[in-house]
Amino acid sequence: MFINAAISLTRPSGFSLEVAMAIKPRGVTALYGPSGSGKTTVLKLLAGLEDGSRGDQINISSDGNIWQDASHFVPPHKRHVGYVFQQPQLFPHLDVRGNLAYASKRAGSQPSAPLAQVCDWLGINHLLTASPAKLSGGEAQRVAIARVLLSGARCLLMDEPLGSVDHAARLQILPYLDRLRRLLDIPIVYVSHGLDEITYLADEVYMLEQGRIKAFGTVFELASSLTLNSQEGDVAAAVVEARVEHHDQAFGLTCLRLDSQSIYVSRCAQSPGTPIRLRIPARDVSLALQVPAQTSILNVLEGVISDIEPLSASPSLLVRVQVGGQYILSRITRKSLQQLELQPGKAVYVQIKTVALLSDLSQQVAISP
Amino acid sequence: MLPDPDSQALWLTLQLALTTTGLLMLVGTPLAWWLARTKSLGRVILEPIVALPVVLPPTVLGFYLLLAMAPNGVLGQWWFSITGERLAFTFNALVIGSIFYSLPFYVQPLQVAFENIQQGLLDAAATLGAGPADRFFSVVVPLSRRGFVTAICLAFAHTVGEFGIVLMIGGNIPGETRVLSIALFDHVESLQYEAAHRLALGLLIFSFALLALVYGLNRHWQMRLAARH
Repeated sequence: MFINAAISLTRPSGFSLEVAMAIKPRGVTALYGPSGSGKTTVLKLLAGLEDGSRGDQINISSDGNIWQDASHFVPPHKRHVGYVFQQPQLFPHLDVRGNLAYASKRAGSQPSAPLAQVCDWLGINHLLTASPAKLSGGEAQRVAIARVLLSGARCLLMDEPLGSVDHAARLQILPYLDRLRRLLDIPIVYVSHGLDEITYLADEVYMLEQGRIKAFGTVFELASSLTLNSQEGDVAAAVVEARVEHHDQAFGLTCLRLDSQSIYVSRCAQSPGTPIRLRIPARDVSLALQVPAQTSILNVLEGVISDIEPLSASPSLLVRVQVGGQYILSRITRKSLQQLELQPGKAVYVQIKTVALLSDLSQQVAISP
Repeated sequence: MLPDPDSQALWLTLQLALTTTGLLMLVGTPLAWWLARTKSLGRVILEPIVALPVVLPPTVLGFYLLLAMAPNGVLGQWWFSITGERLAFTFNALVIGSIFYSLPFYVQPLQVAFENIQQGLLDAAATLGAGPADRFFSVVVPLSRRGFVTAICLAFAHTVGEFGIVLMIGGNIPGETRVLSIALFDHVESLQYEAAHRLALGLLIFSFALLALVYGLNRHWQMRLAARH
C-alpha cells in the first residue's frame, strides 16, 4: 500500500500543519520531532480519526484511492489501517483472546497472519486467557500490536507505542518491533520523539518541527547529516549498518563487516549474515593520518573526509568521514584540525572507541579500556 | 388475590411501565449517547430540558401536556391526523406523558456511563474495522451494562409510581387510564384502608425488590471487575 498525503490545516489554537508525504509500501517511515510538532495529528489524519475544518486542505490517498479530499472522507473502519496507540486500548470486558478475536472477526476478506503465528511473533501465547487489567504495560502493548496484525491491516500506524511503558518494557518490545519490520510486507508509519527508537527501527525519517517538515531522508543520511548533528552537541552520533561476520569465542567478541572493513563488538547473539545497526557517538571517534601503532583501540577504519562543520555553542568541529558507502562522524578540536591539516578529500584513519549495537539497546557495548 | 378492578389496574400499570421503558430505550439511548459525546451547543439547551421533570412538580408538566394533548392542542392535532383518534384521557396519552416524565431517570445514568467510556477504545475499535453501530453494540453496551440496568430499573419504577401526571392527562378511566397509584388514591378517599394497604404494601415491596436487584447486580459486577484487577 502506497500512501500519499498533502495536508494543510490550521487549528483554532493557532497550530498549523503543512506537510506533504509519500509513504513507501514497505519498511518503517518514521515521523520524528518534539511534542507539539504535529506528528500525531498527521497519523490520526492518515487513520481517519481526525478531520480538518472548513478552509483546511487535506488530500490523502492510498494506491490511487482517495481517502480524503474536499468531497470525500473514508471513515477509519473502511481504511484497513492498523493503529497502535500510546496506551494499549485493550477492551476491558474481553480477555486477551477475546481482544484478538475482536480484530480477526472484522478482518473480512483482508488476509492476515494466523493467530498462532502472530502470538508467536509477539510472545503472548501464555497470556491468552488473561484479563487486560492483569497484564504489565509491555505485555498489554504487545497484545495491542498482535490485535492490530490480526485485523488484516494493510498498513500499520504506530503512535509512540513505547510512550506509556517503562524503560525495561521498551527494551523488551523493541526487538519484537524490529522483527515485525523484517517480517511484514506492509508499510509502518512510526511516530516517536525518541532518537534511539528511530535509529533502531526507521528506514526513512520525516523530521517535523512546528507543523513543518524540517528534513527528510533515510535514517543513515539524517543521522550523519552535519547540519542536524551540529545542534546536538555532545550526543551527535552516526548510525551505520553492518553485517555479522563471525563470532570470536576466545575473546568474547563478534566481528562485523562494514563494507569491506571489520568492526569488533562484544559478542552478540545474532547469527552470521544478519544486518545490524550501530550507533557511533562522534565524541568517541578520533582521527589519525597514519595507522595507529600499538593502540588498545580495536576498531580502526580507513576513510575519506567528506565535509567539516563547526559545532554550535562549542569550540569543537564535526568531521564527516566516508567509510565505504556510509558515514561516520568525529568530533575534534580546531587545534587538531590545524595540526593534521584536515580538509575534505583527505584520507584518514578513524579510531572508534565505543560502538553501541542498536539491535541490543540494553547493552551499550564499549570496546577498549 | 386482588379484587377485579385492582388487578385490572395492576395489569394496566405493568403495560404502561413496560411500554414506556421500551420506548425510552429506543428514544433515550441515542439521546444519552448524543449528550455524552457531542461538543455542539445544542447540549446546553437539551440537557436542562431532559432534566426538568426532576425538579418540576408533575402537575405542572401534566398541565402543559394536557393543553398540548387537547383536541386543538399541538400534540392532540398531530395525533388525530395520524390515528384519527383523540389523545387526551387515553392510555396512549399516559405513555407519552410517562416518557417525558421518566426521561431524565433513564437518560442521566446512561449518559454518565457513556461519558466514562474512553474515546481511545472507540478509536481502537474503529481502526480494527468496526463501524459505528458495531462499535456501539460491541464496546459501548458491554462497558455501560451497569448504566443500562440502573436506567431501565429507575425508568420502570418511576413509571409505576407516577401519580400527578397520570391524574392530569389520564383521568381515572378503569381499564384505560386507572393505574395502581390512582386506584390506591381512590381506596384512601373512600376510606377502604384494607384495600389501600394491599396496594401500598405491594408497591413498597416491589420497589424495594427492584432496588435490591439493581444494587446487587452492580455490586456483583464491581466485584467481578475487582477480581480481574
